[in-house]
Amino acid sequence: MEISAMLSQLRDPMGVPFFPVVFQVLMVLTFALHIFMVNIVLGGSFMAIWSRLKGGDYNIRLSKTLAKATTVNLSVAILLGIAPLLFVQVIYDPFWYSATLMSGWWSMLFLLIIMLGFLALYVFYLKGRNGASGGGIFGWFTLGAVLFAGVIMHMLAMQSLHPEEWVKWYAPGGVMDTSGWAFNAFSIERFLHFIVPAFINTGIFMMLYAWYFKPRSDMDGAYLDWVAGTGAKLTLYAFFVQIAVGFWFLLGLPADLAFIYNPWVWVAATLALAAFGMVVKAQKDPIGSAPLLGLLSVVAVLGMSITREVLRMTYVGVYEYSIYDYPMSMDWGSTALFLATFVAGLVVIAYPIGIAFKAGRMNAEAAKEL
Amino acid sequence: MYPLFEIPTVGGPMLIASIATFHILPSHVATGAFWMAYFIERKAITQNQPELMEFLKRFTLSILIFCFVTGSLTGVGIWYSATAISPRAISGLIHNYVWGWATEWVFFIIEIVTIYVYFYTFGKVSDKTHLRIGLLYALAAWISMVIITGILGFMMTPGKWLSTGGFFDGFFNETYWPQLFTRTSMMFAIAGSYAAIVAGTLKDGGRDTIRKIAGRWGLGGIIAGALFTLWYYTKLPASALENIQQIAYTSMMLKVSLVVGVVMALYFLLLALGKGGFVSPAVGILMMVVLFAGIGGGESVREISRRPYLIPGYMYSNQIIGHDMSAKGVSSEVDKFNEEGILKNYPFIPEDLRVITADNYLKAGEVITKLECIACHTMESGGRNSLADLESGLTAEDIVADILDDLASSYMPPFVGTEVEKRAAAAYMAEVLTDGEAPDAEWVVNGN
Repeated sequence: MEISAMLSQLRDPMGVPFFPVVFQVLMVLTFALHIFMVNIVLGGSFMAIWSRLKGGDYNIRLSKTLAKATTVNLSVAILLGIAPLLFVQVIYDPFWYSATLMSGWWSMLFLLIIMLGFLALYVFYLKGRNGASGGGIFGWFTLGAVLFAGVIMHMLAMQSLHPEEWVKWYAPGGVMDTSGWAFNAFSIERFLHFIVPAFINTGIFMMLYAWYFKPRSDMDGAYLDWVAGTGAKLTLYAFFVQIAVGFWFLLGLPADLAFIYNPWVWVAATLALAAFGMVVKAQKDPIGSAPLLGLLSVVAVLGMSITREVLRMTYVGVYEYSIYDYPMSMDWGSTALFLATFVAGLVVIAYPIGIAFKAGRMNAEAAKEL
Repeated sequence: MYPLFEIPTVGGPMLIASIATFHILPSHVATGAFWMAYFIERKAITQNQPELMEFLKRFTLSILIFCFVTGSLTGVGIWYSATAISPRAISGLIHNYVWGWATEWVFFIIEIVTIYVYFYTFGKVSDKTHLRIGLLYALAAWISMVIITGILGFMMTPGKWLSTGGFFDGFFNETYWPQLFTRTSMMFAIAGSYAAIVAGTLKDGGRDTIRKIAGRWGLGGIIAGALFTLWYYTKLPASALENIQQIAYTSMMLKVSLVVGVVMALYFLLLALGKGGFVSPAVGILMMVVLFAGIGGGESVREISRRPYLIPGYMYSNQIIGHDMSAKGVSSEVDKFNEEGILKNYPFIPEDLRVITADNYLKAGEVITKLECIACHTMESGGRNSLADLESGLTAEDIVADILDDLASSYMPPFVGTEVEKRAAAAYMAEVLTDGEAPDAEWVVNGN
């Protein structure tokens, strides 16, 4: 069967309930937020273990803080991962389902491994909170679990980009492989391109932590300066690595895609360059630079997410697949329901976030007035 | 039609059912527990019982671990496992209800934000503010149930959606309200059961008070849940009620859930009367396991009674679109596949397998058998709902005449495909699956 005809046949016959571009925008946006949080989880759990291993007052305090923060960050990362997973199934359903079905057990394992990693993280955090020096093994397990989950998700994404291989992978020699253990595609440079920023963003997260608590008179200012300085250095070193990985990834893409000439690549590269300049500048004043750098890192991750989507469109465009011609079966009512809820939801969460933000920055007695 | 994912021995439906049944525990604790927490916190503040706040801290941390680790991931797990077993059904649901799920996701955001803020501001902000944040969580969590129930109900009774294709026509279906009230009641029962476990971990103050509260909330929840379940059954379509009566497994699971309901009611009664001293964490967990069995019974009934459909009136259990859906411009695939063949329309096989010959009929038969049967049956002997066992001793001719030609009279979808495809499937079942007599290749290919 011809590939473009196959992709067209696999699309859901009911069509999409609103303009596909809206799902695409939401998918890219939520993926950016998701991967940003995944970055902080990965880098945060690594730094929490590393600091505990190094020992010393500051390192142990940093380890406890990062372990605690990572429990929240992992929850948020999972939450933010649901949305792009939902939207990808709306507009790229033939790709996502084909890739997932060939690797059914891997997709199940993905969830199991995150669950176990999350439980291990709580053990690591609670042991550290209660002053125990052990528990590092649980931290390593969490880190390994999140990395392994990333490997699986990356493999599924890579399999989905190669419809020309699907039949060969699924039915080699004409015999269906229904075992669900297919593991056919992996690109180490692409994978690293999403993993190395973990250290960049965790460094920025540490700088933001110091900036956030700086106004509190009952916090140790010297410790906060140390955290911010350590974060700034981590970000800088990781940035050098990311630049090298970025070139490796870009140059390793199939030449016939001509992706290097795509304007989005250069927009993303410019953003990355601006971020790099800021990181260099931030070495002098890590705490003062934190808010702007934090904002810029989110924008840079968004740029990366957009570029990833443009690359996907280039891959699937070879087979004349475009989400923009997905048949529509408009449903204004449910669209309005979501948009209204989304706006109202943002207003609602502003209240508890505002309370938490203020309470964390105040001395205990003052916060009781909130 | 997508690649197939075969789960040996237990089969796909049991995998989904296990994850889904487990998920009900943390998800209902997550939705119900904070109404109880709000009540307890008010009591702690107004009656100056600070020991109750100690319980709440422990309760909230345990909820963060139980519900926001296992609960959230098994929730996604239902989605993943259902995708891996029935991708077209999930796709159909998503293409209708994507905004419903996205709306539910907004409430998940509120839940996550409020529960963490609630936990980390214990004793740090004013009582009024802390209570308000707890209430906000409880509301958001319950509204996520209000939304998902519409989609769950749709899978049993799609209602006017079949003729209009409208989101809200399917959402507010015949079983929506009874199911929402049942789940709302059950969330208090499950949360009560969970609170009793956490109370058992307390060494002193507040333990007995919490056990009594857990018992009252649990008992109220389970009685109300039973009444609303009766209402739910009056709204089920005749075909579902027929399935419950006719399928032995379903009627057995219904009895299991009834017995568990009675046992749990007695358990909650003892707690409510202050006779819960025996409820250590281990006993509490044991009772949660009993509850799990009851939920498993109820969910099995709900799942199996909608056979032969995944989406009644639209898509069969094996993901073949069985009926026109004019409002969305979708045609039934039955006539098309009967005429052209299912192999011609399955993209994931080599071209030389699309036409059945004397050389390839077993390979082709395997594809057809798995495409049409794997959603409910395992292939190997000893597996759950095993085709090898069900068809043991039958010849290919028997399988065609006694089973494949007669499927539509049962709760199974009809065989869809050409006559030669039907014979190839029967040949594969007779010759390979059951290790029986090989049919004549001429009979398979030409019917004589």
